[in-house]
Amino acid sequence: MHNIWLIAKREYMERIRTKAFLIATILIPTLMGGGVFGIATLASRSKATSHVAVVASQPQPAEDLKKDLENGKDSKMTVDILPASTPRASLDRKIADKQLDGYLVITPAGVVGQRPSFDFTPRSSADITTSTAIKDALHTVLMREYLGDRGVSAAETAALMAPVTLNIIGKNGERGNSKSSFYVAYVLFFLMYMVVLLYGMNVARSIIEEKTSRVFEVLLATITPDELLAGKILGVGAVGLTQVGIWMIAAGLLAARAGAMSGISLSVAQVVFFIVYFALGYALYSSVAAALGAMTNSEQELQQLNMFMMMPLFLCMGMLVPIVTNPNSMLSRIVSEIPFCAPLLMELRISISMPQPWEIALSIGLILVTIYAVLWISSRIYRVGILMYGKKPNLPEILRWLKYS
Amino acid sequence: MPIVELQKIRKVYDTKVAVEGLSLTIEPGTMFGLLGPNGSGKTSSIRMMIGMTVPDSGTVSLFGKPFDRASLHRIGYLPEERGLYKKMKVLDQLVFLGQLHGLSEATARSRALVWCERMQITEAIGKKTEELSKGMQQKIQFIAALLHEPELIIMDEPFSGLDPVNAELLQNTLIDLRREGKTVLFSTHRMDQVEKLCDSIALISRGKLVLTGSMRDVKSRYPRNRVQVVFSGDESFLGHAEVAEAQNYSGVAHIKLHHEAGAQVVLAEAIARGTVINRFEVKEPTLEEIFIEQVRASFGDEEARGIVDA
Repeated sequence: MHNIWLIAKREYMERIRTKAFLIATILIPTLMGGGVFGIATLASRSKATSHVAVVASQPQPAEDLKKDLENGKDSKMTVDILPASTPRASLDRKIADKQLDGYLVITPAGVVGQRPSFDFTPRSSADITTSTAIKDALHTVLMREYLGDRGVSAAETAALMAPVTLNIIGKNGERGNSKSSFYVAYVLFFLMYMVVLLYGMNVARSIIEEKTSRVFEVLLATITPDELLAGKILGVGAVGLTQVGIWMIAAGLLAARAGAMSGISLSVAQVVFFIVYFALGYALYSSVAAALGAMTNSEQELQQLNMFMMMPLFLCMGMLVPIVTNPNSMLSRIVSEIPFCAPLLMELRISISMPQPWEIALSIGLILVTIYAVLWISSRIYRVGILMYGKKPNLPEILRWLKYS
Repeated sequence: MPIVELQKIRKVYDTKVAVEGLSLTIEPGTMFGLLGPNGSGKTSSIRMMIGMTVPDSGTVSLFGKPFDRASLHRIGYLPEERGLYKKMKVLDQLVFLGQLHGLSEATARSRALVWCERMQITEAIGKKTEELSKGMQQKIQFIAALLHEPELIIMDEPFSGLDPVNAELLQNTLIDLRREGKTVLFSTHRMDQVEKLCDSIALISRGKLVLTGSMRDVKSRYPRNRVQVVFSGDESFLGHAEVAEAQNYSGVAHIKLHHEAGAQVVLAEAIARGTVINRFEVKEPTLEEIFIEQVRASFGDEEARGIVDA
């Protein structure tokens, strides 16, 4: 145990002290936060601002449409109303000169009580924002006109057309916030995904580094390969946990400052299970990475085997939607027991809807057994591989090595 | 009680036999040379000695007991392929390696400083390993192997890649350690070093033991049948019946005799024929000659020449 501790301590101290660690700790959340914030800001400001012409023979509904488009909820367009006699060719020319983003032609229906027909010619047929805004505005305008014709007052119309609020009540009778618990689950999922991917690979890299610098031979003169690998996984792992810890605390402080915590609540169970599954998932993927590191001799060779790490993670990504929509289906229950998926998917299920206790216990047990098995195999590969050959083994060779002592 | 005892150890990798039935003993307080051409199984044997790999059959005993990982703290090991953490500071590195060998941090630190002074690399203490020259790195590794004051010191090719000054420094350190009562085992194919340093040797070739024993025993097993003559004048004495082989490099002749006793006969003959003898020296075979002869015997002539030259 003492040796594992020494290896882990060295690995941890050497990594924490690097500039790369400091930069990643500061830069990644800054970039991600900035990105998310930027996108959110852009999205909230992206009202349709196009300049369109409406060609109509009657003032209504063109006038109302103009009002709605210029000062609507989602749009801030410039609208010109032109008489029906306006030649299309001049409008087409304006579009070509980029003075107009499109024009709408309203042709009254021949029969009274029927809707007029609307023909929109956009400058770019891909400008979905503008056409959607026009469509929505027309719908509102026509509805309002119809109701007005039937003698419904403007206030009543507004009340009628207001959006409905749906309250989500949890099993405990408290009013929950399904949106926020959903987001929390997503954020935790991706946090785990990212860290596992980033730091798992670091274990492999650190093993390869030791191989190329040939330090391992001195180390193996006093300690066993199992101790070496376990120490590495713990040490590099602790670096990842430190980094995530710093991010979480910073995010917590920031959120508390901004008072944004009020909307999102993390239950104690959620936090505890996150930590448990995070640690387990991390240990599992790190030991897989250790096996990959043991098999390869260079970063390039490692890249080729990278997909063995990625594949289970992709499977988890694919299972996100089915599990979120139906967390207790047979499919969800089975995939969330697969050791390589359990850390992510069981965690997700726990934060959405608590599974049976035995399911949680089983998944944890399976992960532990898998970690042990993977470590056992990697230490065999490591010992035999580096001491005997110094080349990348093929599958039959690996199987034969497992029999060596 | 021998400090290292190997009994018929054997190791096979896939189809290649690395070590085949090797038995040898190393007595405490000796300087032991493990000799052999490249690929003869020196490193494989050493690795089995320190439990890095386990022999397929046969037994390894250390300090008079069957192999036990606990006794590894009493061994210092310098591997053939040197390696240190590139980005780590020298002192941190030595302290870390010392701690792995069971030292406390404080002890490791103070001993590391003492050794750095002894090895004349004090100025390197605060530097990162990657900033140092190859020779300095090798000295650091050398220190790392000795920091925990091991009773048995195992060094795989300790002098390769060192300049003569540093090689001498290391040799003298090893001699000092032996004088302090430590046992030193090192592998090499530099015969001159072995001849100068070692009390006992083992020669292995193709994974098998060819000969072993104290330096004196090994040499006495070979007849003193070599003569070097520096002469001028008549060279017909080189054709004498006692002479088995002779090479004459214009006045300096290397002669191999059939019998040890033949030397005097040949000398008398030369003087009788009026050759002027400037020097006449009967030599014992050098270890190099024994080595070449033995390796040649185990491989067949042609092959051996290639191996020994390499």
